[in-house]
Amino acid sequence: MEIAQAQAVETLRNFIRQRYNVPLDDADFSDDVHLFDYGYIDSFGAVDLIAFVESAFDIKISQSDLVAYPLNTIREIADFALQRRKANGI
Amino acid sequence: MTIDLEQLDADYLAQVRYALAFISEDVVSYDIDAAAKKITIELGPGADEAEVRTRVGEILSRYDQSQFGMKTVVDFEQKRDLPALDAWAGMLERRWATPVGDGHVVLRGPAALLMALVDHKVDSIFAEEFGAELEYFPSTIKSETLHRCNHFTSFPEHMDFVAHLKQDLGVLKHFSDSCRDKGWSPELHDGTMSRSDFAISPSCCYHAYEAMEGWELEKPGRCLTATLHCHRYEGANHKYMSRLRAFTMREVVWVGHPAYIISGRARAEQLIIQWAKDWELSCRFETANDMFFTDDYAVKASFQRQQQGKKELRLDVPSEGRSISCFSSNFHSTTFGKAFGISVAGRPATSGCIAWGYERWVYALLSQFGFRPEEWPAGLRDDYERFVRDRRTTLPARAATPE
Ligand SMILES: [Zn+2]
Repeated sequence: MEIAQAQAVETLRNFIRQRYNVPLDDADFSDDVHLFDYGYIDSFGAVDLIAFVESAFDIKISQSDLVAYPLNTIREIADFALQRRKANGI
Repeated sequence: MTIDLEQLDADYLAQVRYALAFISEDVVSYDIDAAAKKITIELGPGADEAEVRTRVGEILSRYDQSQFGMKTVVDFEQKRDLPALDAWAGMLERRWATPVGDGHVVLRGPAALLMALVDHKVDSIFAEEFGAELEYFPSTIKSETLHRCNHFTSFPEHMDFVAHLKQDLGVLKHFSDSCRDKGWSPELHDGTMSRSDFAISPSCCYHAYEAMEGWELEKPGRCLTATLHCHRYEGANHKYMSRLRAFTMREVVWVGHPAYIISGRARAEQLIIQWAKDWELSCRFETANDMFFTDDYAVKASFQRQQQGKKELRLDVPSEGRSISCFSSNFHSTTFGKAFGISVAGRPATSGCIAWGYERWVYALLSQFGFRPEEWPAGLRDDYERFVRDRRTTLPARAATPE
């Protein structure tokens, strides 16, 4: 089933807001903020986030993907997940 | 005993070599022979060989990076063809250095002046650029603080803890009398020490965060600078000047909004590269990771490299056929902001720091360029001569020469 980009972004945004306790009035938080540099997610959180993306989008993310693709913002992660789904014929 | 090696990547071997120093007190010495693909270990009497073998296996798999992405980005490289010169032997010969215990060294003469020059450069270039506020820190730090900084769960192996004799008249009298009658010996400490509550700080910037506990900063945040005499116990890894147990670390630290830390770090990286060019250093500035001494090494190191959380300026030491990290640029995200409740504009503050290991600078400079300032690269020589002149110091090399 095809997932629209806006929908993928929203899924990720909602998960990150809830899982990492981002306040609603946080002025820095956006779909393009660097999630790690801005401290929303740390190395332990990154493991959780990868697991969530894998299950929500039904894909696998390898260590070499983490090196090869920029996966630092909500939009980057959504784009990557959708591309990977397409490549897998989902 | 010997153990076969399967991977031969240089980073891997360096990490394995470092970690082997800590596997067991039964190990007398060890040697990694990359050509023969084996590790040879000499054990003390009564050692449990099977146990040591198991532990070596743990170390080998801990640092096995084949499952993980270890991203390396080289931002700057400047290679010079330099003769292999044994700087340590030369420093000893000239009395520019005297070892005073394992991993402890006294510097004097031009070696001391070079160290002061590096400090002066940090002040005039970096502290100035960032308007860093000067702070002074105690050498020792609460173990509880280090725990809150997650230091013990990442680097337990290199801690040097502090303890004093028990507040007990009998203990004090026995210690003092024994020293008088039989002389001091380490055994006199067995069972006579208090519980340890402090450690010698293994790094410069922890005091900065604990001293800012609960602070609510205004945007963008603040920048500070400090110098600290730090300790890291490195077992058999102690090597004069390149891996000291007692060494001097200078830092510039930013605490505040992420954009402030990120832009400060980026500017500092330009400045350090310019410095390397000015002094014509044989070096590389590249992504790095901390030597996490824990089983989750690969996960932590991979994430740190992925996020470029650590970059290092590595200066070549031609006589050792390797480079040593002399400067690092570090990003901690909100780790310390959260640990100590420091906030900026209502959010947990982020932090970052840049750090210089002064003794390593002195060693790398002398290793690369030798002992005669007139033969040094023009930028270094001019800075050195101007600095020495401005200090109005008579060249202490004279004072260091035996009568
Ligand atoms: Zn630091």
